[in-house]
Amino acid sequence: MSKAALERQIRPIYDALDHGSNKSAINACNKVLKKYNNNTLVKALKALALTRSQKVEEALVLCDEILATVVTDDSTLSVMTHVLKGLARNSDMVAMFDNAFKQQPQSEELGAQTFFAHVRTGNWKSCQQVATRMHKQFQEDRYVYWAVTGAILQANDLGTPPNIRTLLYKLAHRHVTSCPTPSYMAVDRFHLHLIILQELQLWDEANTLLESDVGKSICSASLVCNETRREIWRKRGLYKDEGERAQEKIKNNDRNWLEFVSVIDAAFASVQGSDVSEEGKSECFENIAKTRDFLTKIAEVDGSNNRSASLAFLELEKNAVSHGISSDENTLVDSMENYFSQFGNKACCFEDLQPCVDLGADAKSRWISFLASQESSFATMGDLQRVINVRKLQRISLTASELSTDKELCLASTYIKEYMAGLELGSSLPVTELQPADDLAILVGHAFVSLWTMTKDESYLYNAAVVLEFALAKSRMSFQIRLLLVRIYRLLGASSLALDHYRAINIKQVQNDTLSHFILTRASTFSLSATGDLTYPSECIESSQIYVSNSQDVRFFTLLCFQDGYPPQIPEFVSFDDRLENSLQRDVVKLEHVRMRMTHEPINSDLIDMELIELKFVFDRSFANDQTLMFGNSTGQGWLWYFIKIYIRAFQHASDLDDIVEEKLLIGDRPKKSPEPEVQLPLRERLAIRKPEEAAELTADELQLMEWATALSDWLEPYHNYTRPPPAVVLAEANRQNELRTGLPLRGVDLKALNGDAHANGHAKKDEEAPPVKEPPQLVAQFFEHMHARFVQLQQSQCLPSDLLHVATLTQEAFLLFAVESHRFKTASVVKIHKLGALVQFLKDVRSKAYTVLKTMSNDLLKMSEVAGSAERRKSFVESCKPITDFPRLHHDFVLSVAKNVGESRKKVLEGVSKGMVKICTNYGQ
Amino acid sequence: MSVLRPFKANDLFRFNNINSDVWTETYGIPFYLTYLQRWSDLCFTQESPRGRLQGYILGKAEGAQTEWHGHITAVSVAPEYRRLSLARNMCQRLEFASDGIYKGYFVDLYVRCNNALAIKMYEGMGYSVYRRVREYYGNLGVGKDGRDEEDAFDMRKCLSRDVAQRSIRSNGRDMIVSAHDVS
Repeated sequence: MSKAALERQIRPIYDALDHGSNKSAINACNKVLKKYNNNTLVKALKALALTRSQKVEEALVLCDEILATVVTDDSTLSVMTHVLKGLARNSDMVAMFDNAFKQQPQSEELGAQTFFAHVRTGNWKSCQQVATRMHKQFQEDRYVYWAVTGAILQANDLGTPPNIRTLLYKLAHRHVTSCPTPSYMAVDRFHLHLIILQELQLWDEANTLLESDVGKSICSASLVCNETRREIWRKRGLYKDEGERAQEKIKNNDRNWLEFVSVIDAAFASVQGSDVSEEGKSECFENIAKTRDFLTKIAEVDGSNNRSASLAFLELEKNAVSHGISSDENTLVDSMENYFSQFGNKACCFEDLQPCVDLGADAKSRWISFLASQESSFATMGDLQRVINVRKLQRISLTASELSTDKELCLASTYIKEYMAGLELGSSLPVTELQPADDLAILVGHAFVSLWTMTKDESYLYNAAVVLEFALAKSRMSFQIRLLLVRIYRLLGASSLALDHYRAINIKQVQNDTLSHFILTRASTFSLSATGDLTYPSECIESSQIYVSNSQDVRFFTLLCFQDGYPPQIPEFVSFDDRLENSLQRDVVKLEHVRMRMTHEPINSDLIDMELIELKFVFDRSFANDQTLMFGNSTGQGWLWYFIKIYIRAFQHASDLDDIVEEKLLIGDRPKKSPEPEVQLPLRERLAIRKPEEAAELTADELQLMEWATALSDWLEPYHNYTRPPPAVVLAEANRQNELRTGLPLRGVDLKALNGDAHANGHAKKDEEAPPVKEPPQLVAQFFEHMHARFVQLQQSQCLPSDLLHVATLTQEAFLLFAVESHRFKTASVVKIHKLGALVQFLKDVRSKAYTVLKTMSNDLLKMSEVAGSAERRKSFVESCKPITDFPRLHHDFVLSVAKNVGESRKKVLEGVSKGMVKICTNYGQ
Repeated sequence: MSVLRPFKANDLFRFNNINSDVWTETYGIPFYLTYLQRWSDLCFTQESPRGRLQGYILGKAEGAQTEWHGHITAVSVAPEYRRLSLARNMCQRLEFASDGIYKGYFVDLYVRCNNALAIKMYEGMGYSVYRRVREYYGNLGVGKDGRDEEDAFDMRKCLSRDVAQRSIRSNGRDMIVSAHDVS
């Protein structure tokens, strides 16, 4: 058959793949392969169709066949890229292109593809090497910059030691300077050059570049280059020159705040460093006076149109005090007063003045009385804003000793009164607009939350909720009010209301990473998934969607940057990718999902093995960001580490996957390991690490759970290790399953080599003696009673429903962890062969105690749920809102409606958790 | 009064105070990366002296021949930083780059016909209505302002290259086109 005829036969395969009919694609491939059994393109297409129809094993066999030869033709390479991407085998993809390029070093296209394959895997070292090779071969400038960027990215990588970093920058420098076209021919190249010079502190060269006409003109037009130029000048200590240059720019109407920062820094240049001479001080004194004059003039010209100069004036006075040049804070207060008089009608005034309010006693009392002397007027929006700014500034100046319940109540009442007055101003605004008085309502919320913190009396939270609900009805789009309500309702255990408000904010896309903690932190406390209500688990999955394709997306755009020649964006994109990939929130949500999943899915080896592997991946990362509070403790990395350790250990015990098996069975690349030294330790050692600063992120009850889980694991570990079938047996079983499914043996598993007796039945007896059965440690035996006592104590004291649910759900979690840890000993034959009858008896004792405790808790919660939704409860809710019901607009009916919603929502969660416990007891109680 | 600097990918982690506003859409990550990758010199943000993001502008360059122009895709300022001329500054910067770097003929933007406040602001900045685009904002459906809520004004401002000022016209409000006719 001719080439054309072959092409005619291949076309329908592509069509079938395009239309998603993988089955007919496979059939078509088989047909062609009958005649051309060595055609790699068709094989690759078949592998693609197989991958897409989830027939991974068969696809892998084909892949191996194809990769055994060197692939160089475009079509096959492109199909294989898709196949290997689908199988997450990026390292194979890189090797494939590397080989192809080696075979055909004269192919520019292959070179570029190889380079991009390395970009996709984030292997910057190879990027640099491939690009250098390409430059030698094809003599194109842009490859020099590819190599430069590769070197810089490798240098910036966390795992690169400082000396290698310098070396890499030097290499980058050599590349740039040896390039025939000078860097200033393109802005992005010029910028890259500057960054390198800055890192290597080659000031003379930087100076030549920046002082040239071209350099000057680039910096005046490009914000990025100008930023780098500014940093270089600062690092060289050229504060004065930079200050003069900035003054010129300001005189020419540039109002970029960075220019003002330069002017201020110039004024204090002579007092930088640790030992400051008297001369330096007096020089600084003079400079401050000059700068004052300069800023005053600018401020006069700008008036209220632009606040930069006035703000810079404030900054100047503040620095004068903090540098010890001026001991008199009166000048600072003067400028604060002036600033407030001029810009008090702007919302940002509070934020502007906030850093200045940390004053000495005299100055502070002057400032406080100035604020107190401001009259409250509600005639215009500007007046209202002034009132708001005064209240906020007063509030942040309050000290703990000044705060009493009476004072807070009085403040709350003032805020409400002013809020109501301010509301009139915005009465004609469309519903989509925010009410200008919103901040006052938020202040009311703060005051009541602070009252609750002081007294632990939850009725203050009712007050806060009512006022905020009212404010929200007036300003439907206020996300700040909603976020505050989410926090309050979670404390009150009205989790469905919290969720409603959270959803109304319409958080999307990347915002999930930064905002979902509001609702998902410790969400398992409120989850009803044990009863089949999957609201929270699906919320977890939805909020994690952004992480699924993100890395591929970002790398795709990084790749485009290289193609188009925009290197300055690339480090940005790489850092963005790193942050999302190593997002703490992502993994906190992942763990929260595991906690919920265990309550509604049967605990079996599928769940255990999968979560074990995933959590181990998480355990190899390092994190960038920090999270929110709930129960007064943040769920940061410490919290995550502690819980992950609990779960990894429990799953490890219950699982038959030891490292050898995992290595064999896991397909695709493992995620990049964090370079941190702790992560390099053996897993066993890492799991045993306990750090006080990490423990501090756990609540007292969570710590109890941790200690209990550790004791339980220590106790049971020897029996697990003894009973766990050897790798050969596990692999033989996996092999059998695979053959049943696909008709093919597992690839890469040589059972004979692993162990000669793989054919033995699953419960091969070991040579060594069974570990003697020991009694459970006291901690293990008594944990559930202890938790029960804690639960009773909370019930009797003033506590929030969320606290009670916290204890109850942690007890339930312990029960489930216990089910995981004792899962292996459920099988009668295992117990018999290994003579673990006595152990099973001990386990039974613990289980039955736990069962009784959970049942009691469940009953109590059910009783509480009935009370929570009752008419009396509503009545007492309304009564405790006395501090606010004097305001006619917060009338009885409105308060009652909030009371009703809160009651119903609480009833729902208490009842649901209670029923879920019953279900879990039934499933694992025996 | 604020730091004007290029918008960076990591700013996506910090723009909640701006994007939680109802009228500001939060797009998928690829949307922002497309802009940053292709038109990084037309995307800016303003940061307050205390380090919070105040607002941002995303723009692009498009069109052929005399239609080659800078386009303002999104400009948004957080509620607490409004009435500080931030939008004006960012637009000016975008005009500056469209003129100097891209050598476009004009800069244009779309605005809801019922958004009188914004229209007035843009007029104050030298923009004028070039045409009315029917059902440009189809997603909300016809609201209380009827067609005004759905239709958009395409507003334009000439750059130095358009010496004869051919990209604007005085009777723009009467020139009605359908959404299919605009890109």
